Amino acid sequence: MQLSLNEDQTQVLDFIDSLAKPYATVPMHDVSLALESAELDEALVENGFLDVMAVEELGPVMAALVIEKLARLPFAVEAAASAMVRPLIDPELPRPLCLMEEGKARKPLRFLRPGATVVVVGPSGVKSFTATENMIAPAQEDTLYGYPVAFLTSQPDSMTSHDVDAAEILRAWRVAMAAEAAGLLGAALASTVTYVSERKQFGRPLATFQGMRHRLAEDQVLTNTAYWMAMRAAGTGSQADAAMALHHAQEAAKRVCYDYHQFLGGMGMTLEHPLHLWTYRLKLLTAELGGRGAQGLAAAEALWG
Amino acid sequence: MQFEWTEEQDAFRHKIRDFLHANLPDDWEKFSEHGPASPALTAFAREFCVKLADAGILFPHWPVEMGGEGLGPWEQQILAEEMWIAGEPRGGQYMNVNWIGPTLEKYGTDEQKKRYLEPITKGQSLWCQGFSEPDAGSDLAALRTRAELKDGNYVINGQKIWTSYAGLADTCFLLTRTSDDRKRGITIILVPMDTPGITVRQIPSLIGEGDIHEVFFDDVTVPESARFGDEGQAWEIIGYSLRNERLGIPRFTLARAALDRAVQMLKDAGDFDSEYVKIEAARCAALCEAAGTANYAVVQRRVDGLAIGAESSSARYATVMAERAVCEFVIEFLPEGLAGASPYLKMHHQRGIVAGVAAGSAEIQLNIIASEVLELPREPR
Ligand SMILES: Cc1cc2nc3c(=O)[nH]c(=O)nc-3n(C[C@H](O)[C@H](O)[C@H](O)COP(=O)(O)OP(=O)(O)OC[C@H]3O[C@@H](n4cnc5c(N)ncnc54)[C@H](O)[C@@H]3O)c2cc1C
Repeated sequence: MQLSLNEDQTQVLDFIDSLAKPYATVPMHDVSLALESAELDEALVENGFLDVMAVEELGPVMAALVIEKLARLPFAVEAAASAMVRPLIDPELPRPLCLMEEGKARKPLRFLRPGATVVVVGPSGVKSFTATENMIAPAQEDTLYGYPVAFLTSQPDSMTSHDVDAAEILRAWRVAMAAEAAGLLGAALASTVTYVSERKQFGRPLATFQGMRHRLAEDQVLTNTAYWMAMRAAGTGSQADAAMALHHAQEAAKRVCYDYHQFLGGMGMTLEHPLHLWTYRLKLLTAELGGRGAQGLAAAEALWG
Repeated sequence: MQFEWTEEQDAFRHKIRDFLHANLPDDWEKFSEHGPASPALTAFAREFCVKLADAGILFPHWPVEMGGEGLGPWEQQILAEEMWIAGEPRGGQYMNVNWIGPTLEKYGTDEQKKRYLEPITKGQSLWCQGFSEPDAGSDLAALRTRAELKDGNYVINGQKIWTSYAGLADTCFLLTRTSDDRKRGITIILVPMDTPGITVRQIPSLIGEGDIHEVFFDDVTVPESARFGDEGQAWEIIGYSLRNERLGIPRFTLARAALDRAVQMLKDAGDFDSEYVKIEAARCAALCEAAGTANYAVVQRRVDGLAIGAESSSARYATVMAERAVCEFVIEFLPEGLAGASPYLKMHHQRGIVAGVAAGSAEIQLNIIASEVLELPREPR
């Protein structure tokens, strides 16, 4: 065991910090439902941050760390699938990558747009195709999710088949989502803690009320362990670890999103506070890969057969 | 105990349903996605409430002296349930018939009753509730908007926030400070929203267009006769009206209807086979029904003429639990519902997520339950 960051990891994360600095905050009155930045995306690609997994000294834990770090930004970045899943299928697949469960086209796909690569994962293997305008229906404009989402209305007859194990891709997908959720959980917690420490009612900071302190402290425990579960799953490559990591993150997401919106009161309903950017991304992630129940079944299968 | 509705109550419910069926436009479900305070729904409600008034189902629960049929709390509950499940086609006017009207009747001067009750009964007025302020939310008694009596007029200065309907309301039920006594220094003033010096700013929100606002009062001057009740009587009066409001919205019914809709959509998609989805759905259903029983227990107290205290907090918290579960269920298993696949589910989501904050935070309800139901010793000050 060696759980502290090594020099390479620290360096990469520091690089990302400085590169992402201009995107770390958003002006309070300029927040839309789904924030994206093409420049940020480009900078990440140019500097190779989404390709760290393939670099021998860096590997999957580094990829998970990158995903976690980027998820903390108020801006939505398609990093998880690209950094953790793409290298296992074909590192040259054009981004953004949209992962889809076979037969689940009814669900909104994150980052779906013309030119995106849709990867379909399921019993009949792993296949991909490039999305074109005529296959895409936009989601309604004021959808709340904090990610750009759209619907796939049709799929091409012929897709590229990839000679990879679908179970392995599913595993990496779970780890990638768990790492992304960990970052979102961390950012949402930090944002809430700041608010309730500053906001006063009854002549004292809200954070001095014990009822709130205990819930926030439990939320911290869930957030912290979601981080470690995601990193461990990335490191071990185990199916059970991956399923448990995503299960844990999805459980945590349900719990904390409710708490944080409660603790912000009316402010939590506005677009003028950024909390919703992280919580609505987390909410959408609770639906990923069938939700907690499906992760639970996958974990049980991996653990006990 | 008896858990069935009477034949008359069933007939009353069907009368409302039939009316809604006959009078809501075909595209209503898509339309009602506009929040209850949106310009679109407010305009719609101005016509729809007139029809309700003509059909005798705008305020049938009001006493006969007020022009109602004196039907009572169960019928008021049934009316509210059917309207809320349908997406609240009365818009903000539900407040009028639930608590503004009865409160005017109980505490208003003859002049105030004459001026304000008639437009309510004709389905023609929209009120807003100016209680919360930037520094007075859960701690409402900390409010600072001042009203000073000068030469027979009140001059009002200050700011309200989160005010629903403010953008389109014609009158504000405004809480002001007239002396420094925390609770007994608060006075209600009924302020026409077109009075000079009032500025309204809409706050962009997760719950749709037109819902929450900031309202600024800058030397807003109204005659002394606009005061509602005595100086310092506000706390008593809003205690009365908020108790009505806390039950005013039967949210558990829409939560249940949204759940049923979601399950149907899952069945249609062939995704209702797995046991964990069924177990989660059943858990949500039980929470909705639990909230229903808690709400009905409070209605019974009203029927019996008993005082309503912390029971309403208990019912509200049960409702928050149900809303939370259904909102989470829908996103977990039907995330497309909020992205365009179901206007009804999106409408429910946007109304459901405020359950734990609007009209007093869930955590404040827990404090009330702890102190008044459990009679736990209080935290030392
Ligand atoms: C959709 C919507 C519509 C509204 N409409 C109106 C309206 O028309 N008119 C109006 O006047 N107001 C309205 N409100 C305001 C509403 O009444 C307040 O938001 C509510 O009372 C909470 O106040 P706050 O937002 O200032 O939160 P705060 O008082 O800052 O509280 C934030 C959170 O802190 C926690 N907290 C606070 N006190 C305690 C405590 N003692 N112990 C433990 N935890 C605590 C709770 O979780 C609470 O939710 C509306 C709000 C919403 C969301």
